Amino acid sequence: MPAFEFSKAQLDPAALARSLADPAAGGFASFEGWVRNHDAGQPVTGLDYEAFEELAVAEGDRIVAAAMQRHGVRAARCVHRVGALGIGELAVWVGAAAAHRAEAFAACREIIDEIKHRLPIWKKEHYQSGDSGWVNCERCAEAGPAHADEPAGDARFDYARQMALPEIGAAGQRRLTAASVVVIGAGGLGCAVLAALAGAGVGTLHVVDDDRVEASNLPRQPLYTTADLGRPKAEAAAQRLAAYNPRITVHAHAVRLSAANAAALVMAGDVIVDCSDNFAAKFLINDTAVLAGRPAVLASVHQYEGQVQVVRAESGGSCLRCLWPEATRDGLVGNCVAAGVLGPVPALLGQLQAIEALKILLDLPGQLRDELLLVDLLGVELRRLRVPRASECAGRCTRIGPAAAETPAAELEITLPLAAAAAQGYRIIDIREPDECHSEPLGLTGHMAMPMATLLAGPAALDPDARYLLVCTRGARSLATARELRAGGCRNVWSLRGGLLHAAGGTQPGRS
Amino acid sequence: MPQVRLRYFALFREQAGCREEEFATSAPTPGLLYEELATRHGFRLGRAQLKVAINGAFADWGTPLADGDEVVFIPPVAGG
Ligand SMILES: [Zn+2]
Repeated sequence: MPAFEFSKAQLDPAALARSLADPAAGGFASFEGWVRNHDAGQPVTGLDYEAFEELAVAEGDRIVAAAMQRHGVRAARCVHRVGALGIGELAVWVGAAAAHRAEAFAACREIIDEIKHRLPIWKKEHYQSGDSGWVNCERCAEAGPAHADEPAGDARFDYARQMALPEIGAAGQRRLTAASVVVIGAGGLGCAVLAALAGAGVGTLHVVDDDRVEASNLPRQPLYTTADLGRPKAEAAAQRLAAYNPRITVHAHAVRLSAANAAALVMAGDVIVDCSDNFAAKFLINDTAVLAGRPAVLASVHQYEGQVQVVRAESGGSCLRCLWPEATRDGLVGNCVAAGVLGPVPALLGQLQAIEALKILLDLPGQLRDELLLVDLLGVELRRLRVPRASECAGRCTRIGPAAAETPAAELEITLPLAAAAAQGYRIIDIREPDECHSEPLGLTGHMAMPMATLLAGPAALDPDARYLLVCTRGARSLATARELRAGGCRNVWSLRGGLLHAAGGTQPGRS
Repeated sequence: MPQVRLRYFALFREQAGCREEEFATSAPTPGLLYEELATRHGFRLGRAQLKVAINGAFADWGTPLADGDEVVFIPPVAGG
Protein backbone atom coordinates (compact mmCIF):
# COMPACT_ATOMS: atom_id res chain seq x y z
CA MET A 1 0.00 0.00 0.00
CA PRO A 2 1.76 3.18 -1.18
CA ALA A 3 1.60 6.18 1.15
CA PHE A 4 0.60 8.40 -1.75
CA GLU A 5 -0.85 7.39 -5.09
CA PHE A 6 -2.89 8.60 -8.00
CA SER A 7 -6.02 6.81 -9.13
CA LYS A 8 -7.76 6.95 -12.48
CA ALA A 9 -10.70 5.04 -10.99
CA GLN A 10 -13.36 6.26 -8.54
CA LEU A 11 -12.34 6.16 -4.90
CA ASP A 12 -14.10 4.02 -2.29
CA PRO A 13 -13.78 5.80 1.08
CA ALA A 14 -14.99 2.81 3.08
CA ALA A 15 -12.38 0.52 1.58
CA LEU A 16 -9.69 3.16 2.03
CA ALA A 17 -10.61 3.57 5.71
CA ARG A 18 -10.54 -0.21 6.21
CA SER A 19 -7.03 -0.33 4.70
CA LEU A 20 -5.78 1.68 7.69
CA ALA A 21 -7.52 -0.51 10.30
CA ASP A 22 -5.23 -1.24 13.23
CA PRO A 23 -6.17 -2.77 16.60
CA ALA A 24 -3.82 -0.36 18.38
CA ALA A 25 -5.46 2.71 16.85
CA GLY A 26 -8.06 4.48 18.96
CA GLY A 27 -8.68 7.37 16.60
CA PHE A 28 -9.17 7.66 12.86
CA ALA A 29 -9.63 10.89 10.88
CA SER A 30 -10.18 11.30 7.19
CA PHE A 31 -10.57 14.19 4.80
CA GLU A 32 -12.42 14.11 1.50
CA GLY A 33 -12.02 16.74 -1.21
CA TRP A 34 -15.09 16.90 -3.47
CA VAL A 35 -15.66 18.53 -6.84
CA ARG A 36 -17.92 21.54 -6.25
CA ASN A 37 -20.23 23.15 -8.75
CA HIS A 38 -18.76 26.65 -8.68
CA ASP A 39 -15.41 28.41 -8.56
CA ALA A 40 -14.75 32.13 -8.32
CA GLY A 41 -18.40 32.84 -8.95
CA GLN A 42 -18.58 30.75 -12.13
CA PRO A 43 -20.77 27.65 -12.34
CA VAL A 44 -18.54 24.60 -12.91
CA THR A 45 -19.85 21.49 -14.65
CA GLY A 46 -16.85 19.22 -14.13
CA LEU A 47 -13.11 19.12 -14.17
CA ASP A 48 -9.98 17.26 -15.24
CA TYR A 49 -7.08 16.64 -12.92
CA GLU A 50 -3.62 16.36 -14.38
CA ALA A 51 -0.42 15.71 -12.45
CA PHE A 52 3.30 15.54 -13.02
CA GLU A 53 3.11 12.07 -11.54
CA GLU A 54 6.79 11.18 -11.39
CA LEU A 55 7.56 14.12 -9.16
CA ALA A 56 4.23 14.21 -7.32
CA VAL A 57 4.36 10.59 -6.15
CA ALA A 58 7.84 10.92 -4.67
CA GLU A 59 6.91 14.20 -3.01
CA GLY A 60 3.53 12.86 -1.84
CA ASP A 61 5.23 9.89 -0.19
CA ARG A 62 7.56 12.25 1.62
CA ILE A 63 4.66 14.40 2.82
CA VAL A 64 2.80 11.42 4.28
CA ALA A 65 5.97 9.99 5.84
CA ALA A 66 6.84 13.35 7.39
CA ALA A 67 3.33 13.84 8.83
CA MET A 68 3.31 10.30 10.26
CA GLN A 69 6.61 10.89 11.94
CA ARG A 70 5.81 14.38 13.23
CA HIS A 71 2.45 13.41 14.74
CA GLY A 72 3.31 9.85 15.69
CA VAL A 73 0.38 8.27 13.85
CA ARG A 74 0.28 4.53 13.19
CA ALA A 75 -0.89 4.62 9.59
CA ALA A 76 -1.73 7.23 6.98
CA ARG A 77 -2.26 7.41 3.25
CA CYS A 78 -3.51 9.70 0.54
CA VAL A 79 -5.07 8.94 -2.84
CA HIS A 80 -5.60 11.65 -5.46
CA ARG A 81 -7.76 11.27 -8.56
CA VAL A 82 -6.52 12.11 -12.03
CA GLY A 83 -8.64 12.34 -15.16
CA ALA A 84 -12.19 13.59 -15.69
CA LEU A 85 -14.40 14.10 -12.62
CA GLY A 86 -18.04 15.13 -12.29
CA ILE A 87 -19.67 17.38 -9.67
CA GLY A 88 -19.75 15.74 -6.24
CA GLU A 89 -17.08 13.19 -7.06
CA LEU A 90 -14.37 12.43 -4.56
CA ALA A 91 -11.15 14.07 -5.82
CA VAL A 92 -8.78 13.40 -2.95
CA TRP A 93 -8.90 11.21 0.15
CA VAL A 94 -6.61 11.41 3.17
CA GLY A 95 -6.81 9.15 6.19
CA ALA A 96 -4.78 8.80 9.38
CA ALA A 97 -5.08 6.28 12.20
CA ALA A 98 -3.43 6.93 15.56
CA ALA A 99 -3.58 5.92 19.19
CA HIS A 100 -5.57 9.09 19.97
CA ARG A 101 -7.80 11.45 17.97
CA ALA A 102 -5.58 14.54 18.28
CA GLU A 103 -2.70 12.99 16.32
CA ALA A 104 -5.08 11.61 13.70
CA PHE A 105 -6.71 15.01 13.11
CA ALA A 106 -3.35 16.82 13.00
CA ALA A 107 -1.71 14.40 10.58
CA CYS A 108 -4.73 14.38 8.30
CA ARG A 109 -4.83 18.18 8.22
CA GLU A 110 -1.09 18.46 7.57
CA ILE A 111 -1.17 15.93 4.73
CA ILE A 112 -3.98 17.60 2.81
CA ASP A 113 -2.51 21.09 3.32
CA GLU A 114 0.93 20.00 2.13
CA ILE A 115 -0.45 18.02 -0.82
CA LYS A 116 -2.43 21.05 -1.97
CA HIS A 117 0.52 23.31 -1.40
CA ARG A 118 3.39 21.32 -2.82
CA LEU A 119 2.34 18.78 -5.41
CA PRO A 120 2.38 19.56 -9.12
CA ILE A 121 -1.30 18.88 -9.74
CA TRP A 122 -3.50 21.02 -11.97
CA LYS A 123 -7.20 21.05 -12.57
CA LYS A 124 -8.98 22.15 -15.66
CA GLU A 125 -12.42 23.49 -14.79
CA HIS A 126 -15.26 23.24 -17.28
CA TYR A 127 -17.71 26.11 -16.86
CA GLN A 128 -21.38 26.19 -17.67
CA SER A 129 -20.59 28.89 -20.23
CA GLY A 130 -18.72 26.25 -22.24
CA ASP A 131 -15.33 27.79 -21.41
CA SER A 132 -12.69 26.04 -19.43
CA GLY A 133 -9.60 27.10 -17.52
CA TRP A 134 -6.59 25.54 -15.87
CA VAL A 135 -6.10 26.17 -12.20
CA ASN A 136 -2.92 25.33 -10.39
CA CYS A 137 -4.08 23.65 -7.22
CA GLU A 138 -1.01 24.77 -5.35
CA ARG A 139 -1.92 28.32 -6.09
CA CYS A 140 -5.47 27.80 -4.83
CA ALA A 141 -4.09 26.63 -1.54
CA GLU A 142 -1.64 29.49 -1.27
CA ALA A 143 -4.08 32.18 -2.19
CA GLY A 144 -6.50 30.91 0.42
CA PRO A 145 -10.00 32.39 0.67
CA ALA A 146 -9.00 35.48 -1.30
CA HIS A 147 -8.89 33.30 -4.39
CA ALA A 148 -12.66 33.10 -4.45
CA ASP A 149 -12.83 36.80 -5.33
CA GLU A 150 -10.51 36.59 -8.30
CA PRO A 151 -12.09 36.66 -11.69
CA ALA A 152 -11.80 33.35 -13.52
CA GLY A 153 -8.78 33.37 -15.78
CA ASP A 154 -7.39 36.15 -13.59
CA ALA A 155 -7.65 39.35 -15.61
CA ARG A 156 -5.18 41.00 -13.25
CA PHE A 157 -2.30 39.18 -15.00
CA ASP A 158 -3.23 38.71 -18.59
CA TYR A 159 -1.08 36.86 -21.14
CA ALA A 160 -3.09 38.22 -24.08
CA ARG A 161 -0.20 39.87 -25.95
CA GLN A 162 1.91 36.75 -25.86
CA MET A 163 -1.05 34.49 -26.68
CA ALA A 164 -1.71 36.64 -29.72
CA LEU A 165 1.45 35.21 -31.27
CA PRO A 166 0.29 32.56 -33.72
CA GLU A 167 2.96 30.10 -32.55
CA ILE A 168 1.76 30.37 -28.93
CA GLY A 169 -1.98 30.90 -28.55
CA ALA A 170 -3.98 29.25 -25.75
CA ALA A 171 -2.30 25.88 -26.28
CA GLY A 172 1.16 27.36 -25.88
CA GLN A 173 0.09 29.22 -22.78
CA ARG A 174 -1.21 25.97 -21.26
CA ARG A 175 2.18 24.38 -21.98
CA LEU A 176 3.88 27.17 -20.10
CA THR A 177 1.45 26.83 -17.18
CA ALA A 178 2.25 23.13 -16.96
CA ALA A 179 6.00 23.71 -17.27
CA SER A 180 8.61 23.85 -14.55
CA VAL A 181 11.95 25.65 -14.88
CA VAL A 182 14.83 25.44 -12.41
CA VAL A 183 16.97 28.59 -12.27
CA ILE A 184 20.29 28.07 -10.53
CA GLY A 185 21.71 31.36 -9.30
CA ALA A 186 19.57 34.40 -8.53
CA GLY A 187 22.13 37.11 -9.32
CA GLY A 188 22.36 39.38 -12.35
CA LEU A 189 21.52 36.69 -14.89
CA GLY A 190 19.05 34.92 -12.61
CA CYS A 191 16.98 38.03 -11.81
CA ALA A 192 16.47 38.67 -15.52
CA VAL A 193 15.64 35.04 -16.30
CA LEU A 194 13.24 34.70 -13.37
CA ALA A 195 11.38 37.93 -14.09
CA ALA A 196 10.98 37.03 -17.76
CA LEU A 197 9.79 33.48 -17.11
CA ALA A 198 7.43 34.57 -14.34
CA GLY A 199 5.98 37.19 -16.67
CA ALA A 200 5.57 34.62 -19.43
CA GLY A 201 3.55 32.44 -17.05
CA VAL A 202 5.84 29.46 -16.58
CA GLY A 203 3.70 27.68 -13.98
CA THR A 204 6.43 26.51 -11.64
CA LEU A 205 9.75 28.19 -10.99
CA HIS A 206 12.47 26.85 -8.73
CA VAL A 207 14.97 29.44 -7.47
CA VAL A 208 18.24 27.94 -6.24
CA ASP A 209 20.74 30.22 -4.49
CA ASP A 210 22.43 30.03 -1.11
CA ASP A 211 23.65 33.64 -1.06
CA ARG A 212 22.15 36.54 0.84
CA VAL A 213 21.30 39.90 -0.70
CA GLU A 214 24.21 42.34 -0.52
CA ALA A 215 24.30 46.05 -1.26
CA SER A 216 26.65 45.48 -4.22
CA ASN A 217 24.03 43.16 -5.81
CA LEU A 218 21.26 45.74 -6.00
CA PRO A 219 22.40 47.76 -9.06
CA ARG A 220 21.93 44.79 -11.41
CA GLN A 221 19.54 42.54 -9.45
CA PRO A 222 16.22 44.38 -9.48
CA LEU A 223 14.22 41.59 -7.82
CA TYR A 224 15.65 42.84 -4.52
CA THR A 225 15.19 46.08 -2.63
CA THR A 226 17.26 47.66 0.10
CA ALA A 227 14.77 46.15 2.55
CA ASP A 228 15.96 42.68 1.46
CA LEU A 229 19.61 43.25 2.46
CA GLY A 230 20.84 40.22 4.37
CA ARG A 231 17.88 38.01 3.38
CA PRO A 232 18.45 34.73 1.54
CA LYS A 233 18.22 35.55 -2.17
CA ALA A 234 16.14 32.50 -3.02
CA GLU A 235 13.50 33.50 -0.48
CA ALA A 236 13.41 37.20 -1.40
CA ALA A 237 13.26 36.38 -5.12
CA ALA A 238 10.50 33.80 -4.68
CA GLN A 239 8.40 36.19 -2.61
CA ARG A 240 8.83 39.00 -5.10
CA LEU A 241 8.00 36.80 -8.09
CA ALA A 242 4.91 35.33 -6.43
CA ALA A 243 3.67 38.85 -5.73
CA TYR A 244 4.48 39.91 -9.30
CA ASN A 245 2.53 37.05 -10.87
CA PRO A 246 0.05 35.38 -8.50
CA ARG A 247 -0.82 32.85 -11.22
CA ILE A 248 2.44 30.94 -10.83
CA THR A 249 4.13 28.96 -8.08
CA VAL A 250 7.67 29.77 -7.03
CA HIS A 251 9.76 27.47 -4.88
CA ALA A 252 12.77 28.84 -2.99
CA HIS A 253 15.78 26.57 -2.46
CA ALA A 254 18.24 28.46 -0.26
CA VAL A 255 20.87 25.76 -0.67
CA ARG A 256 24.26 25.56 -2.29
CA LEU A 257 24.23 23.38 -5.40
CA SER A 258 26.27 20.25 -4.68
CA ALA A 259 26.79 16.78 -6.06
CA ALA A 260 24.37 15.56 -3.39
CA ASN A 261 21.42 17.76 -4.38
CA ALA A 262 22.06 18.53 -8.06
CA ALA A 263 20.17 15.57 -9.49
CA ALA A 264 17.05 16.18 -7.40
CA LEU A 265 17.02 19.88 -8.31
CA VAL A 266 17.63 19.26 -12.00
CA MET A 267 14.92 16.60 -12.17
CA ALA A 268 12.38 19.16 -10.92
CA GLY A 269 12.66 21.16 -14.15
CA ASP A 270 11.64 20.65 -17.75
CA VAL A 271 14.44 23.11 -18.52
CA ILE A 272 17.40 24.09 -16.34
CA VAL A 273 18.80 27.61 -16.57
CA ASP A 274 22.36 28.09 -15.34
CA CYS A 275 22.85 31.54 -13.88
CA SER A 276 25.70 30.54 -11.61
CA ASP A 277 28.92 32.51 -11.38
CA ASN A 278 31.55 29.78 -11.14
CA PHE A 279 32.82 26.87 -13.17
CA ALA A 280 32.38 24.25 -10.49
CA ALA A 281 28.62 24.93 -10.58
CA LYS A 282 28.50 25.18 -14.37
CA PHE A 283 30.17 21.80 -14.89
CA LEU A 284 27.96 20.22 -12.24
CA ILE A 285 24.82 21.65 -13.86
CA ASN A 286 26.01 20.53 -17.30
CA ASP A 287 26.87 17.01 -16.20
CA THR A 288 23.67 16.55 -14.20
CA ALA A 289 21.46 17.89 -16.96
CA VAL A 290 23.20 15.67 -19.52
CA LEU A 291 22.74 12.65 -17.30
CA ALA A 292 19.12 13.44 -16.50
CA GLY A 293 18.34 14.19 -20.14
CA ARG A 294 17.12 17.72 -19.39
CA PRO A 295 17.87 20.73 -21.62
CA ALA A 296 20.12 23.31 -19.96
CA VAL A 297 20.60 26.93 -20.95
CA LEU A 298 24.00 28.12 -19.75
CA ALA A 299 25.32 31.67 -19.69
CA SER A 300 28.21 33.64 -18.26
CA VAL A 301 29.12 37.29 -18.30
CA HIS A 302 32.40 39.17 -18.10
CA GLN A 303 32.47 42.97 -17.92
CA TYR A 304 30.81 43.99 -21.23
CA GLU A 305 30.55 40.51 -22.78
CA GLY A 306 28.77 37.26 -22.38
CA GLN A 307 28.47 33.72 -23.67
CA VAL A 308 25.37 31.56 -24.06
CA GLN A 309 25.28 27.83 -24.73
CA VAL A 310 22.21 25.58 -24.88
CA VAL A 311 22.92 21.95 -24.00
CA ARG A 312 20.55 19.43 -25.55
CA ALA A 313 22.28 16.15 -24.80
CA GLU A 314 18.89 14.38 -24.68
CA SER A 315 18.55 14.95 -28.41
CA GLY A 316 22.16 14.41 -29.39
CA GLY A 317 23.53 17.91 -28.80
CA SER A 318 26.96 18.94 -27.61
CA CYS A 319 27.64 20.03 -24.04
CA LEU A 320 29.81 22.37 -21.97
CA ARG A 321 32.60 19.80 -21.75
CA CYS A 322 32.60 19.37 -25.52
CA LEU A 323 33.54 23.06 -25.60
CA TRP A 324 35.83 23.19 -22.57
CA PRO A 325 37.23 19.69 -22.18
CA GLU A 326 39.84 20.70 -19.64
CA ALA A 327 38.43 21.24 -16.19
CA THR A 328 38.59 25.01 -16.21
CA ARG A 329 39.53 26.21 -12.80
CA ASP A 330 37.84 29.10 -11.11
CA GLY A 331 40.36 31.81 -10.40
CA LEU A 332 42.06 31.43 -13.77
CA VAL A 333 39.31 33.41 -15.43
CA GLY A 334 37.61 36.42 -13.94
CA ASN A 335 34.24 36.57 -12.23
CA CYS A 336 32.11 39.64 -11.62
CA VAL A 337 33.54 40.29 -8.17
CA ALA A 338 37.11 40.50 -9.44
CA ALA A 339 36.56 41.76 -12.97
CA GLY A 340 33.53 44.03 -12.59
CA VAL A 341 30.40 44.00 -14.71
CA LEU A 342 28.03 46.55 -16.21
CA GLY A 343 24.48 45.90 -14.93
CA PRO A 344 22.60 45.70 -18.25
CA VAL A 345 25.07 43.05 -19.53
CA PRO A 346 23.84 40.21 -17.30
CA ALA A 347 20.29 41.57 -17.72
CA LEU A 348 20.54 41.21 -21.50
CA LEU A 349 22.24 37.81 -21.35
CA GLY A 350 19.55 36.64 -18.90
CA GLN A 351 16.83 37.74 -21.31
CA LEU A 352 18.56 35.75 -24.05
CA GLN A 353 18.52 32.72 -21.75
CA ALA A 354 14.82 33.24 -21.00
CA ILE A 355 14.05 33.42 -24.71
CA GLU A 356 15.92 30.16 -25.37
CA ALA A 357 14.13 28.48 -22.44
CA LEU A 358 10.74 29.62 -23.78
CA LYS A 359 11.68 28.45 -27.28
CA ILE A 360 12.38 25.00 -25.87
CA LEU A 361 9.18 24.88 -23.77
CA LEU A 362 7.04 26.11 -26.67
CA ASP A 363 8.89 24.17 -29.35
CA LEU A 364 9.53 27.37 -31.29
CA PRO A 365 11.85 27.35 -34.30
CA GLY A 366 15.41 28.71 -34.36
CA GLN A 367 16.58 27.22 -31.09
CA LEU A 368 20.24 27.73 -30.28
CA ARG A 369 21.98 24.37 -30.11
CA ASP A 370 25.45 23.02 -30.78
CA GLU A 371 26.63 26.60 -30.73
CA LEU A 372 28.37 29.13 -28.56
CA LEU A 373 26.78 32.54 -28.79
CA LEU A 374 29.29 35.31 -28.12
CA VAL A 375 27.79 38.65 -27.16
CA ASP A 376 30.09 41.69 -27.22
CA LEU A 377 28.26 44.78 -26.03
CA LEU A 378 31.18 47.17 -26.50
CA GLY A 379 31.51 46.12 -30.12
CA VAL A 380 27.70 45.57 -30.31
CA GLU A 381 28.23 42.24 -31.98
CA LEU A 382 26.67 38.79 -31.79
CA ARG A 383 28.60 35.79 -33.10
CA ARG A 384 27.49 32.19 -33.31
CA LEU A 385 30.23 29.58 -33.34
CA ARG A 386 29.44 25.92 -33.96
CA VAL A 387 30.30 23.55 -31.10
CA PRO A 388 30.32 19.98 -32.38
CA ARG A 389 29.88 17.04 -30.06
CA ALA A 390 33.36 15.94 -28.92
CA SER A 391 33.93 12.27 -29.67
CA GLU A 392 35.51 11.68 -26.25
CA CYS A 393 33.47 14.04 -24.12
CA ALA A 394 33.96 13.77 -20.37
CA GLY A 395 30.46 15.20 -19.92
CA ARG A 396 29.07 11.83 -21.14
CA CYS A 397 26.90 13.57 -23.70
CA THR A 398 28.14 11.15 -26.34
CA ARG A 399 26.87 8.23 -24.33
CA ILE A 400 23.33 9.49 -23.98
CA GLY A 401 21.00 8.95 -26.88
CA PRO A 402 17.42 10.14 -27.23
CA ALA A 403 16.12 6.62 -26.64
CA ALA A 404 18.08 6.25 -23.45
CA ALA A 405 16.85 9.51 -22.02
CA GLU A 406 13.29 8.42 -22.65
CA THR A 407 13.43 5.09 -20.82
CA PRO A 408 10.29 5.57 -18.74
CA ALA A 409 10.74 5.75 -14.98
CA ALA A 410 8.14 3.01 -14.54
CA GLU A 411 10.49 0.50 -16.18
CA LEU A 412 13.41 1.50 -14.01
CA GLU A 413 11.92 2.10 -10.59
CA ILE A 414 11.04 -0.36 -7.90
CA THR A 415 9.17 0.29 -4.67
CA LEU A 416 10.27 -2.21 -2.08
CA PRO A 417 11.74 -2.08 1.42
CA LEU A 418 15.48 -2.63 1.12
CA ALA A 419 15.50 -5.77 3.23
CA ALA A 420 12.77 -7.30 1.05
CA ALA A 421 14.69 -6.37 -2.09
CA ALA A 422 17.80 -8.06 -0.73
CA ALA A 423 15.73 -11.12 0.17
CA GLN A 424 14.42 -11.24 -3.40
CA GLY A 425 17.97 -11.41 -4.71
CA TYR A 426 18.57 -7.78 -5.67
CA ARG A 427 22.13 -6.71 -5.01
CA ILE A 428 21.90 -3.30 -3.38
CA ILE A 429 24.33 -0.57 -4.42
CA ASP A 430 24.44 2.59 -2.30
CA ILE A 431 25.43 5.25 -4.87
CA ARG A 432 25.63 8.14 -2.40
CA GLU A 433 28.88 9.95 -1.71
CA PRO A 434 31.03 8.52 1.13
CA ASP A 435 30.17 11.36 3.55
CA GLU A 436 26.44 10.78 3.02
CA CYS A 437 26.82 7.02 3.58
CA HIS A 438 28.73 7.77 6.72
CA SER A 439 26.27 10.26 8.21
CA GLU A 440 23.20 8.20 7.29
CA PRO A 441 24.04 4.50 6.99
CA LEU A 442 21.72 2.22 5.03
CA GLY A 443 21.22 -0.05 8.00
CA LEU A 444 21.91 -3.16 5.92
CA THR A 445 24.81 -5.54 5.66
CA GLY A 446 26.17 -7.11 2.52
CA HIS A 447 25.40 -4.21 0.19
CA MET A 448 27.91 -2.42 -2.03
CA ALA A 449 28.83 1.23 -1.67
CA MET A 450 29.87 2.84 -4.94
CA PRO A 451 29.36 6.58 -5.56
CA MET A 452 27.43 7.46 -8.70
CA ALA A 453 30.49 8.70 -10.61
CA THR A 454 32.51 5.57 -9.78
CA LEU A 455 29.69 3.30 -10.87
CA LEU A 456 29.19 5.17 -14.13
CA ALA A 457 32.92 5.12 -14.81
CA GLY A 458 33.15 1.36 -14.33
CA PRO A 459 29.86 -0.41 -15.09
CA ALA A 460 31.91 -3.38 -16.38
CA ALA A 461 32.35 -4.37 -12.73
CA LEU A 462 28.64 -5.32 -12.65
CA ASP A 463 27.85 -9.02 -12.97
CA PRO A 464 25.60 -9.43 -16.03
CA ASP A 465 23.72 -12.28 -14.34
CA ALA A 466 22.88 -10.37 -11.17
CA ARG A 467 20.05 -7.86 -10.56
CA TYR A 468 21.14 -4.55 -9.06
CA LEU A 469 19.06 -2.07 -7.11
CA LEU A 470 20.60 1.42 -6.90
CA VAL A 471 19.83 3.52 -3.84
CA CYS A 472 20.34 7.20 -3.07
CA THR A 473 18.66 9.68 -0.74
CA ARG A 474 15.62 10.68 -2.80
CA GLY A 475 15.74 8.33 -5.76
CA ALA A 476 16.65 10.99 -8.34
CA ARG A 477 20.35 10.20 -8.67
CA SER A 478 19.69 6.46 -8.65
CA LEU A 479 17.07 6.89 -11.39
CA ALA A 480 19.40 8.96 -13.55
CA THR A 481 22.23 6.47 -12.98
CA ALA A 482 20.06 3.45 -13.76
CA ARG A 483 18.88 5.22 -16.88
CA GLU A 484 22.40 5.85 -18.06
CA LEU A 485 23.57 2.35 -17.26
CA ARG A 486 20.62 1.02 -19.27
CA ALA A 487 21.66 3.29 -22.12
CA GLY A 488 25.12 1.75 -21.90
CA GLY A 489 23.63 -1.73 -22.29
CA CYS A 490 23.19 -2.88 -18.65
CA ARG A 491 19.71 -4.39 -18.64
CA ASN A 492 19.90 -5.50 -15.00
CA VAL A 493 19.81 -2.26 -13.00
CA TRP A 494 16.86 -0.67 -11.23
CA SER A 495 16.38 2.33 -8.98
CA LEU A 496 14.72 2.43 -5.57
CA ARG A 497 11.81 4.82 -6.07
CA GLY A 498 11.90 7.74 -3.63
CA GLY A 499 15.26 6.55 -2.27
CA LEU A 500 16.00 6.15 1.40
CA LEU A 501 13.45 8.80 2.39
CA HIS A 502 10.76 6.67 0.82
CA ALA A 503 12.07 3.47 2.37
CA ALA A 504 11.92 5.22 5.75
CA GLY A 505 8.23 5.93 5.19
CA GLY A 506 7.47 2.26 5.78
CA THR A 507 5.73 1.39 2.54
CA GLN A 508 4.74 -2.16 1.78
CA PRO A 509 6.09 -4.35 -1.00
CA GLY A 510 4.81 -3.74 -4.50
CA ARG A 511 6.03 -2.42 -7.80
CA SER A 512 5.55 1.21 -8.58
CA MET B 1 54.23 37.11 -43.39
CA PRO B 2 50.46 36.66 -43.13
CA GLN B 3 48.63 39.74 -41.98
CA VAL B 4 45.79 38.67 -39.67
CA ARG B 5 43.04 40.54 -37.88
CA LEU B 6 42.85 39.64 -34.18
CA ARG B 7 39.75 39.92 -32.01
CA TYR B 8 39.99 39.61 -28.25
CA PHE B 9 37.32 38.66 -25.74
CA ALA B 10 37.12 38.95 -21.95
CA LEU B 11 40.53 38.46 -20.29
CA PHE B 12 42.35 38.78 -23.58
CA ARG B 13 40.75 42.13 -24.27
CA GLU B 14 41.85 43.36 -20.84
CA GLN B 15 45.37 41.99 -21.14
CA ALA B 16 45.89 43.13 -24.72
CA GLY B 17 44.35 46.50 -23.91
CA CYS B 18 42.30 46.52 -27.12
CA ARG B 19 39.34 44.74 -28.73
CA GLU B 20 41.05 44.11 -32.02
CA GLU B 21 44.29 44.65 -33.88
CA GLU B 22 45.91 44.00 -37.24
CA PHE B 23 49.00 41.90 -36.79
CA ALA B 24 51.73 40.67 -39.11
CA THR B 25 52.91 37.29 -37.88
CA SER B 26 55.57 34.83 -38.87
CA ALA B 27 53.59 32.07 -37.12
CA PRO B 28 52.20 29.48 -39.55
CA THR B 29 49.44 28.31 -37.17
CA PRO B 30 47.15 29.85 -34.51
CA GLY B 31 48.97 27.75 -31.88
CA LEU B 32 52.28 29.47 -32.59
CA LEU B 33 50.50 32.78 -33.07
CA TYR B 34 49.09 32.46 -29.55
CA GLU B 35 52.59 31.80 -28.15
CA GLU B 36 53.80 34.91 -29.91
CA LEU B 37 50.93 37.02 -28.55
CA ALA B 38 51.24 35.53 -25.07
CA THR B 39 54.76 36.92 -24.91
CA ARG B 40 53.72 40.26 -26.41
CA HIS B 41 50.63 40.84 -24.21
CA GLY B 42 51.35 38.65 -21.19
CA PHE B 43 48.48 36.20 -21.77
CA ARG B 44 48.53 33.68 -18.92
CA LEU B 45 45.93 31.08 -19.92
CA GLY B 46 47.30 27.79 -21.20
CA ARG B 47 46.21 26.83 -24.73
CA ALA B 48 44.18 23.92 -23.39
CA GLN B 49 42.01 26.42 -21.57
CA LEU B 50 40.91 28.55 -24.47
CA LYS B 51 39.47 28.25 -27.95
CA VAL B 52 40.49 29.78 -31.21
CA ALA B 53 38.11 30.60 -34.04
CA ILE B 54 39.25 31.46 -37.54
CA ASN B 55 36.84 33.32 -39.82
CA GLY B 56 33.84 32.60 -37.62
CA ALA B 57 34.39 28.89 -36.87
CA PHE B 58 36.28 27.08 -34.15
CA ALA B 59 39.59 25.82 -35.54
CA ASP B 60 42.37 23.44 -34.53
CA TRP B 61 45.56 24.94 -33.20
CA GLY B 62 47.45 23.47 -36.17
CA THR B 63 45.30 24.96 -38.94
CA PRO B 64 47.49 26.89 -41.44
CA LEU B 65 47.01 30.65 -41.23
CA ALA B 66 46.31 32.60 -44.39
CA ASP B 67 46.69 36.26 -45.16
CA GLY B 68 43.57 38.21 -44.14
CA ASP B 69 42.28 35.62 -41.65
CA GLU B 70 40.26 36.85 -38.72
CA VAL B 71 41.52 35.08 -35.61
CA VAL B 72 39.55 35.19 -32.35
CA PHE B 73 40.80 33.91 -29.01
CA ILE B 74 37.97 32.96 -26.66
CA PRO B 75 38.51 32.24 -22.98
CA PRO B 76 35.85 30.61 -20.83
CA VAL B 77 33.98 33.08 -18.60
CA ALA B 78 31.98 32.35 -15.49
CA GLY B 79 30.36 35.52 -14.18
CA GLY B 80 26.69 35.51 -13.36
ZN1 LIG C 1 29.86 16.88 -24.29
